[in-house]
Amino acid sequence: MSRFCYFLCVALLALFLGQTADARPVSYPEGWTIMQHNNGDFSSAHVHYSPTFQDSFGIYSERNWANDWQFTGVQYNRLVKRWNTSDSQANLYFKLGAGQADAFGDSDESLAGFVDISADWETRRWFLAYDARAYDLGFDQDFRQFARLGVAPYIGDYGDLHTWLMVQVDHDPESDTPVTATPLIRFFYDVQLLEIGYTPETDRFMLNWIIRL
Amino acid sequence: MTVFKSAFIAAALVVAAPVSFAESAETEQASNATQIIAKVNGMVCDFCARAVTKVFGKEDAVESVDVDLDAGEIRVALKNGATISDERVGELVKKSGYDLVSVLRDTA
Repeated sequence: MSRFCYFLCVALLALFLGQTADARPVSYPEGWTIMQHNNGDFSSAHVHYSPTFQDSFGIYSERNWANDWQFTGVQYNRLVKRWNTSDSQANLYFKLGAGQADAFGDSDESLAGFVDISADWETRRWFLAYDARAYDLGFDQDFRQFARLGVAPYIGDYGDLHTWLMVQVDHDPESDTPVTATPLIRFFYDVQLLEIGYTPETDRFMLNWIIRL
Repeated sequence: MTVFKSAFIAAALVVAAPVSFAESAETEQASNATQIIAKVNGMVCDFCARAVTKVFGKEDAVESVDVDLDAGEIRVALKNGATISDERVGELVKKSGYDLVSVLRDTA
């Protein structure tokens, strides 16, 4: 399946499920979330349901163009710890995925899984995040991590369009370009989040979006 | 014709009066509603505000929910005659993922 067809299928799925952010892997109790990430190295789609503010269950699919494999499975996200203060919030998350994977051009599918740990800290002006993920694909292993720093150029009120200027540094040891930096802009309005970025080292665009229902 | 005109005006008054009275009564109820102001920690983003709006909005006693991100406050208007305990407010704030600092009550 081509990248375009993959993007199209996920977009149609989102439209079918509803018109209805924040990049956190759990939502409010009884909330649904649809998120998609595309950065040139990989494209992923994740749909999850949160029974509580600490847990979410869902499905996850990824096509990794950099390392030539695809994964499809179920995913569990857990908010391990949250620190709330009067002007900030920090979170520690653990994520677990299990499913099947196959290498491009190989019809054999293997049992596969991943573990992921992420953390973020946010005020109304500043944003910091880190995420590390390790895959066991059955036929191979993979690892990647990223860190992100963001600043809000203005402080919006509840219900306003919120804008963030960010830079994300990715490290993927298996990739042709192991370390990249991607400046991006995040728009967050109502229940929708959109991120658009560009990676000069690889001449590729980032496009992420999230919808919470 | 004058009789018809008088009858029409009288009928219109009979029909409009209860509606007008009901609107006045509604306004009266709203102005008498009790408001709860919950000061919370951790509510730093629009999505945080949506979480508390969703959770508080499901409570039977709640008429409306507003959030002041600058002040870190959830402002809850209760339905006429409805009550909600401080303990329940704390539970709802916790269920939303945040920490309750204080609860103020304001009866207009």
